[in-house]
Amino acid sequence: MFHQNKKQETTEIAYNGGAVVAMKGKDCVAIAADRRFGVNQGQTVATDFDKVFEMGPQLYCGLPGLATDTLTVRDRLKFRLNLYELREGRKMSPNVFCSMLSNLLYERRFGPYFVEPVVAGLKPKTYEPFVCNMDLIGCMNEPEDFVVGGTCSDQLYGMCEALWEPDLSPDDLFETISQALVNACDRDAISGWGATVHIIQNNGKIDMFGEAAYSCVLRPLSLQPAGEKDKITTRNVKTRMD
Amino acid sequence: MVDFTKDDFGREIKLKFDHGTTTLGFCYDNGVVLAVDSRATGGKFIGSQSMKKIVEINKFLLGTMAGGAADCVYWDRVLAKQCRMYELRNKERISTAAASKLMANMAYSYKGMGLSMGMMITGWDKRGPSLYYVDSEGNRVKGNAFSVGSGSVYALGVLDSGLRANLTDEEAYELGRRAIYHATFRDSYSGGIIRVYHMKSTGWERISEEDCKDLHYKYENENPK
Amino acid sequence: MGSERYSFSLTTFSPSGKLVQIEYALAAVASGAPSIGIKAANGVVLATENKHKSILYEEHALHKVEAITDHIGMVYSGMGPDYRQLVKRARKMAQQYYLVYGERIRTCQLVQRVAAVMQEYTQSGGVRPFGVSLLICGWDEDKPALYQCDPSGAYFAWKATAMGKNFVNGKTFLEKRYSEDLEVDDAVHTAILTLKESFEGQITADNIEVGICDSTGFRALDSATVKDYLANIP
Repeated sequence: MFHQNKKQETTEIAYNGGAVVAMKGKDCVAIAADRRFGVNQGQTVATDFDKVFEMGPQLYCGLPGLATDTLTVRDRLKFRLNLYELREGRKMSPNVFCSMLSNLLYERRFGPYFVEPVVAGLKPKTYEPFVCNMDLIGCMNEPEDFVVGGTCSDQLYGMCEALWEPDLSPDDLFETISQALVNACDRDAISGWGATVHIIQNNGKIDMFGEAAYSCVLRPLSLQPAGEKDKITTRNVKTRMD
Repeated sequence: MVDFTKDDFGREIKLKFDHGTTTLGFCYDNGVVLAVDSRATGGKFIGSQSMKKIVEINKFLLGTMAGGAADCVYWDRVLAKQCRMYELRNKERISTAAASKLMANMAYSYKGMGLSMGMMITGWDKRGPSLYYVDSEGNRVKGNAFSVGSGSVYALGVLDSGLRANLTDEEAYELGRRAIYHATFRDSYSGGIIRVYHMKSTGWERISEEDCKDLHYKYENENPK
Repeated sequence: MGSERYSFSLTTFSPSGKLVQIEYALAAVASGAPSIGIKAANGVVLATENKHKSILYEEHALHKVEAITDHIGMVYSGMGPDYRQLVKRARKMAQQYYLVYGERIRTCQLVQRVAAVMQEYTQSGGVRPFGVSLLICGWDEDKPALYQCDPSGAYFAWKATAMGKNFVNGKTFLEKRYSEDLEVDDAVHTAILTLKESFEGQITADNIEVGICDSTGFRALDSATVKDYLANIP
């Protein structure tokens, strides 16, 4: 009787809420996401929900949108990725990963997964930064600066346009992407409640995508040189919790 | 009568108001405590984090707003005018019961025309402190404790578990604050600043205005997981 | 493929543990026109015999050396119609790969997939094995690749090999001639010489076919170019 909240029409893409952003820096990329998991738009039921997933040593994929599809697409991507890596005996490059993801999404053209993927990584051999996003049916966009996705993409575009500049160092990139995400989420009711930021740098020592990893000869992946983990920096950022 | 909630084809018109709010009020031995958030939303967009949802009608009357912001602000202003008029005509302050009834009557005369309000009116008059709930449906209820808005369910959970008549002032303020804080955590449409007011025999007093962010990390440090 | 009436496999084990259908298929290959493949330092060469029984035959209208993608080529020994079916399938698989991954398929990947098709035809109902062996060459990143696919579905990576009629002699000849630092031009020369070993009659630009794959991709040589190579052969 005293409840003022009328049931609102909600679209699937904004049912659970969430936001992801990725940015290029100098010889590094960053990808960040909020941690909220809500239902019916209004109710926050968890604040430890990851939307960004590791898909390779220097490849991360964020899947904001309908949470059930976030998990399903993550699993189906991993399934195809694992098969590819076993078949070809090499790691998948970010470009190939995006093509594969785009295809996966278009297979459901008339009953789509409600996710807006954001991919960030370093290209093989050159270690050139790579960012890409797409709509829910797989239309790719590969710009020179930053990509966004999720329920506050308008706000994120605004923040990124204002804060981003070319050739940011890893530390500056961390500051820029964190500020962009946190302040965008502060203007969105259904994003926020904590944030996770990944900074991906070239470790400069072991050639993850080099001759050996790209060899055509099949060999167990475990025998391939492993990247140095400490060049991926993952940090949780404190944010407003309302 | 013209039906403003239907369009030309008889379909229900969706009025997009900022319903997202948490407000609460409760009575105890030392008067009435009101606590509210300060967020204003339009859909999922946060329009403001600094709304004043407690309206100071006069020194002995306070109103809280939930629902359509414009409706609440306007009709509170009309109510303030009416109360002042009463004072000038009768040379004494209007009772809380009468003030809330003025509001309820105004709301009722517009019933079915799309007004969206859920307010609490509290005051201290000859008969002591009292608290009323009034809404745009025409309801007017006297009560001990109310919570209104999308976050009210969460706030009531905290409020009901801690409410006693013999609370100290500090306990009462903290209860209201905590109830709103927990509502802002769970409810996306509530947040910003938590304002606490106390209605005393000497008139209302503003107790505190604290940012949800600071409160969260304060409570977290007091109660590590 | 398999009709409802004959949906059992035609390729079944003999009591001694052999699949004679596959051996017959290999016999069809061994009696087919010879083809040669040689990997050089900077490319790969495919060569085959394309002899005609009548002077009325229109040369250079139909080809045995076929491109599968820009960077992969194929030739065969054995039965022509079976080969065309495999070319069609290989081209489709290469394009499908490009569609999904946005990257051209590696030769070894294509070989695996073509071999899988050939294997399927040794185990499926109502079908017979392919009567061809394939030579598939390609250029991956910065390296040449050369593979052979047999009717059984077995595949091999070669530096140089010969298939079809007189393949044993061809291989022996290549073993003597092969060296790791061969250039493409030398490899074409060697391939033609290997064909010549068992060639009945005069070798001309009209009765052999040559294909080259290097960093610029795969191409079948036109008869004028083949003629130039032949001019250097005694």
